[in-house]
Amino acid sequence: MTYRSTALASLVASVVAFGAIATIGAQEWRTKSPTAADWAAMAKLPDFNGVWETGRAPAVAGRPPVELPPPGAAPPRAGVAGGRQGGGRAAGGRGAAPGGGGRGGAPAGPQLTAAYEAKRAELAGRKAEDTESANCLPPGMPGIMGQPYPMEFILSPGKVTIVIEAYTQVRHIYTDGRPLPADPDPKFFGTSVGHWDGDTLVVDTVGFSPEILLTANTPHSDKMKINERFRLTSPDVMTMETTVTDPDALTAPWTTTRTLIRHRDWTISEYICEENNRNYVDASGKAGIRLDK
Amino acid sequence: MTTRISRALCAMATAALVCGGGTFISAHHSFAAFDMAAEKVVDGAVRKVEWTNPHIWVYIDAAKPGGGTETYAFEGMSPNYLNRRGWTRTTLDDGMKITVHYRPFKDGKPGGMFVSAKLPTGVTLTGGGAQQ
Repeated sequence: MTYRSTALASLVASVVAFGAIATIGAQEWRTKSPTAADWAAMAKLPDFNGVWETGRAPAVAGRPPVELPPPGAAPPRAGVAGGRQGGGRAAGGRGAAPGGGGRGGAPAGPQLTAAYEAKRAELAGRKAEDTESANCLPPGMPGIMGQPYPMEFILSPGKVTIVIEAYTQVRHIYTDGRPLPADPDPKFFGTSVGHWDGDTLVVDTVGFSPEILLTANTPHSDKMKINERFRLTSPDVMTMETTVTDPDALTAPWTTTRTLIRHRDWTISEYICEENNRNYVDASGKAGIRLDK
Repeated sequence: MTTRISRALCAMATAALVCGGGTFISAHHSFAAFDMAAEKVVDGAVRKVEWTNPHIWVYIDAAKPGGGTETYAFEGMSPNYLNRRGWTRTTLDDGMKITVHYRPFKDGKPGGMFVSAKLPTGVTLTGGGAQQ
């Protein structure tokens, strides 16, 4: 072996070794196998398991309405009108927080800093006829939590899993004490950890894809964080309070609240958006329909 | 535009469509191809139903002025949403005579966004499901 090839081999070995170390670094939290005591402790958690959907109305014609808490029973935080949809046309499509804001002089949506207001105006000025949701791109957080489709909460030791029917999505919320990553990769759902504050599930999420919009044309920075608080207000009614903070993009935290209703006779169905999607928006922003696909 | 769309949708909405704060909630649905300010009506016979995500498509054959028929295509809500609200894969039969209200395609092709249909059985179908 020549000196040169030895040096090359050594370099390759170093790169491989460094790569391995970096990978281990990213995976340093090791999930433990739950013990019998861990499973027994699950019984003491609030009864979140099941299929929930946002909204205020009964889903099936002819069935008695689901009992909602009386007004004032679950007062939202100051400046927030509960259970209402913020945002604009993109609400529920791409972007769109899961509700809140608006009535009685409260902010109608996220209040942007001057720099991000300029970004919003620039996006709005492009006059795209539609968003990428027309091409089946999921909305990411927080919009995915406000879709007109159910979500199943599954509690297991050290984890809450939310199976979201819309776009067939899953959120993984680790409640085993692991820390949030210091420098997370940007993702549509971010990276989430949770803990129980009494009967409230508190979820903190960081690291969001720049593709996500908060409401129509409303971008965020890489410093965005989302805090969610879930709690039961009656056996089949859950309140979901979502607070978005972003020191670069928002002048103040943006909080929305929404009600989830448990449907004990529902199961999550499949939703393959690409199955027969005839809508589209092209790179220039022009939208249309493919009728002869 | 947003307000107009919202109003149009809320006007046609049943209890199952959510019209919170003047905003229509819809997963995926693109309104860009439809004239949301217009509503048209056509009678025809069901030719085919695509019971698929992200949206169902209902095709009917309608008589053309001067003879012959023409196929209309209508985009509706999703099978997931409708299955839970009384409108199932077998609600519409091939050949069933129905009257469809719709928001027409902007490009003039026959069809558009499904608003409602009256069935011979007396059932009314909307984006929010089936009602007697």
